[in-house]
Amino acid sequence: MTRRWLSTLVFLASAPVFAQNAPRDNSWTAPRLPDGHPDLQGIWTNKTITPLERPAALGNKAFFTEEEVRAFTKTALDRGNKDQRGGGVRDVLNAYNAFWWDSGTKVLPNMRTSIVVDPPDGRIPPLTPQRQAQLQEEALAVKVRCQRPGCAIANSGQLSPADKPEELDLMTRCISFGTVVPMLPSAYNNDYQIVQGPGVVAIDTEMVHEVRRIPTDGSAHLPANVREWIGDPRGHWEGDTLVVDSTNFTGKTRRGMDQNLHLIERFTRVGPDTLLYQFTVDDPTAYTKSWSGEIPMSKTDGLLYEYACHEGNIGMRDIIVAAQADEKKAAEQAAGKK
Amino acid sequence: MRHWFGTALLALGSSICCTTFAALGQVPASHPPDLTGVWQALNTANWDLQTHAAEPGPDSKVGAIGAVAPGPGVVEGGEIPYLPAAAAQRKQNYKDRWTADPEIKCYMPGVPRATYMPYPFQIIQGSDTIMISYEFADAVRLIYMNNPGPAPADSWMGWSIGRWEGNTLVVDVTSQNDQTWFDRAGDFHSDALHVVERYTPMDANILMYEATIEDPKVFSRPWKISMPLYRHIEKNAQLMEFKCIPFSEDVLYGKGGASQ
Amino acid sequence: MIAMKRVAFAIACVGLAMGAAPAWAHHSFAAEFDANKPIKLHGVVTKMDWINPHSWIHIDVKGDDGKVVNWMIECGSPNTMFRHGLTKDSLPVGTEINVDGYLAKDGENKANGRDVTLADGRKLFLGSSNPDADK
Repeated sequence: MTRRWLSTLVFLASAPVFAQNAPRDNSWTAPRLPDGHPDLQGIWTNKTITPLERPAALGNKAFFTEEEVRAFTKTALDRGNKDQRGGGVRDVLNAYNAFWWDSGTKVLPNMRTSIVVDPPDGRIPPLTPQRQAQLQEEALAVKVRCQRPGCAIANSGQLSPADKPEELDLMTRCISFGTVVPMLPSAYNNDYQIVQGPGVVAIDTEMVHEVRRIPTDGSAHLPANVREWIGDPRGHWEGDTLVVDSTNFTGKTRRGMDQNLHLIERFTRVGPDTLLYQFTVDDPTAYTKSWSGEIPMSKTDGLLYEYACHEGNIGMRDIIVAAQADEKKAAEQAAGKK
Repeated sequence: MRHWFGTALLALGSSICCTTFAALGQVPASHPPDLTGVWQALNTANWDLQTHAAEPGPDSKVGAIGAVAPGPGVVEGGEIPYLPAAAAQRKQNYKDRWTADPEIKCYMPGVPRATYMPYPFQIIQGSDTIMISYEFADAVRLIYMNNPGPAPADSWMGWSIGRWEGNTLVVDVTSQNDQTWFDRAGDFHSDALHVVERYTPMDANILMYEATIEDPKVFSRPWKISMPLYRHIEKNAQLMEFKCIPFSEDVLYGKGGASQ
Repeated sequence: MIAMKRVAFAIACVGLAMGAAPAWAHHSFAAEFDANKPIKLHGVVTKMDWINPHSWIHIDVKGDDGKVVNWMIECGSPNTMFRHGLTKDSLPVGTEINVDGYLAKDGENKANGRDVTLADGRKLFLGSSNPDADK
C-alpha cells in the first residue's frame, strides 16, 4: 500500500483541521465516473488497533515511529487476545474464541496514535455541564432502578435493566451499533460498501444493514422537527472530495452526542486501495468544543454480507426471560417472608 | 434511440448516466438504461397477490384504517399453483395471518415482496453493483453484476446476480431462507425458492417489473407476477427512515412477559 | 518512550471512553449467561444456524445416564467466517466438538461457546481461517 501521501498528511497535522481538501499522491488519480466525479465505490474497512482517543500517557504525541508501532501492536494484540481465559464476568463478556473477532491487527497507515486528530491532544473534549448533568441523571435513575431485581450486567460492565426491550441498549435490540455516524470501527464486520449513482452516493454499513442514501443534487435537509436515528445526510463535491453534512438526529444513537449533532464528513480517494475518511462532530450542547477524527479506510477484496440481526435475536429473548424470572423469584421470596 | 430516452432527460432535469464500463478500462457494452431513482409499486399485492375483496383488519378499534384493501391480483393466470400439502399450509397461514406474518415483526421481507410493499425503495446503480435500498425495515440488497460465486449461507434478502438483456435488468435471486411470506394473506415458500426478476423501462418514469417464482417443494410449476413500478417524480422524493424494530417489540417479547 | 503499562491500560479502557462504542460483544453475554456456572460439554453436531447476531451450534450431548440431550451453543457472527471462506457446509453434522463455556441464565440447555475445540484439540474453524486476511 502506498504511503507516499503520508508525508503531506504529516505536514497538515498541525494545520487547522480539514481547512482544505485532503492532499493526494500526485502520481495517482482516482478513476472517474461518467458524471466526472471520482469513483469512491467498493468495500472499505475501518478496522484498526489504533484507539479512538490517544492514550493519556502520549500527551501531544500525534504519530508513532516505526519502532513504537511494533511495541504498541504487540501489546495491543496480546492484551486483546480473546483466547486468553480468566474467569468471572470478564470471561463471559469475552464471549468466544479469538477467530470470531475481527477488530484489526494493525495501526492505521497514517501512523497516528489516535483516530481523533482534533483537539491536538487526540482526546474527545469534555461534555458540556448540561450534557454531563443529563447523563448523570440517567445513570442515577438506572442505579436506583437496579436496586430492584430485573437488572443484569450490560456491555458497559455496569448493571442495567434487562426485563423490557425498551430498557436494553440499542446494540442488544439490533437497532444501532454506533458504527454508522460517524463511521467508527467495532468488534467485527467493520465493512462499508459504497455505491454511486447519478445524484446519489449510498453507503451500506454491514452492521446492521443501515444504508445512508446521500443525495448530491443540492436538495435541502428535512424539516427540523423530523428526526432520524442516523440523521439526514446531504452531500456535495468540493473538487475530488465528497462532503456530507448530516443533521436531524434523534440523539439516541451514541452516548455523548445529542439531537443537536451536526456531523460533517469528507471522503477522498487518495490511493487505489485507500479512501480517506475525515469527520467533525459539531455538537455545542453536548461537547465544549467540536472534535474531529480521521481514518484512512482500506479496500477489501471480500464482500459485504447480510447482517440480519433483529430477525435472529434469540439471545435478547433469553436475556429478558432471565431478568423477568429473577423478578418473579424475588417477588415470591418476598411474599413467602410475609 | 427509443422515445423514452428524450423524455427521461426532460423529466430528470439532468443527464441520464448511461452506465458504461469505459471508466474501468473495459470494453464498453451497449449502453444499458440507468434505473437510479426512487420507485414504488401502486397496488395491493402486499395484502394479497391474488385478486381479493375488502375485509376487516386485525383490530376493530381502528376500524377502516386497519382494513384489508381490495385489489386485482398480480399473478399471471390468476391462481398460485400450490401443491396439495402446501395449499393446506397456505390455508393455515391465512388463519394465523395476524400473528404469523413476519411483516408484523419488522423482519426483512425478502424478494419479491420487498418490491411491492406499500413503501418506496431506491435503486442506486453503480459500476458493478446495483444497490436497492428499501424503506421498510432498512432492508437492502446488493445486485452483483459480476458474479462473485454462490452465497455462503441463506439470508433474508437472498443472493442477487444481475445481468442486462438489452434494456432489461435481469436478476437471479437464490439462497433466501424459508422465513418470509409473499404477502399478508399467507402466501409462502420454502428455502428452495428461486426468483428471476426483470426490470424493463417502459418510459422515463415507469418500469415493468416481472418476477418468475419457482419452488418445487411448494408449487407444482413456476408462476409469474407482474406490475408497473412508478418513479417518484416529486422534488422532495426520498426514502425516510423506517426503523420498525421498536414497533414490533411488544409483539415479540410481550408487554410484561416475553412470549415466543 | 511509551510507558507500556499505561498504554495497555488505556487501550483496555478505550471502550469506555465517552462517545466510543464498546468494543466487545454486541449484546451482553453477561446478562444471558451465568458467570458462576461454567460448564463443559462434549457432543456431536446436529446442525448449525449461520445467523446474526450470533450463530448457534446444536449438539447432542450424551449424559452419564446414557440419555441424549440437545444443547444450543451461542457463537460469533458468521460474517467473519464467510470472510475467511467458510460456508454453511463447513461444520458437518456428526462432527464431535468440545465446548467450554457458561450456562444460560434462563435455565434452558444453552451455553455460550467461550472456547470450542474439535476432538483432536484444535480450535474449531481455526484451521480454515486466514490470519493474514485483513488489509
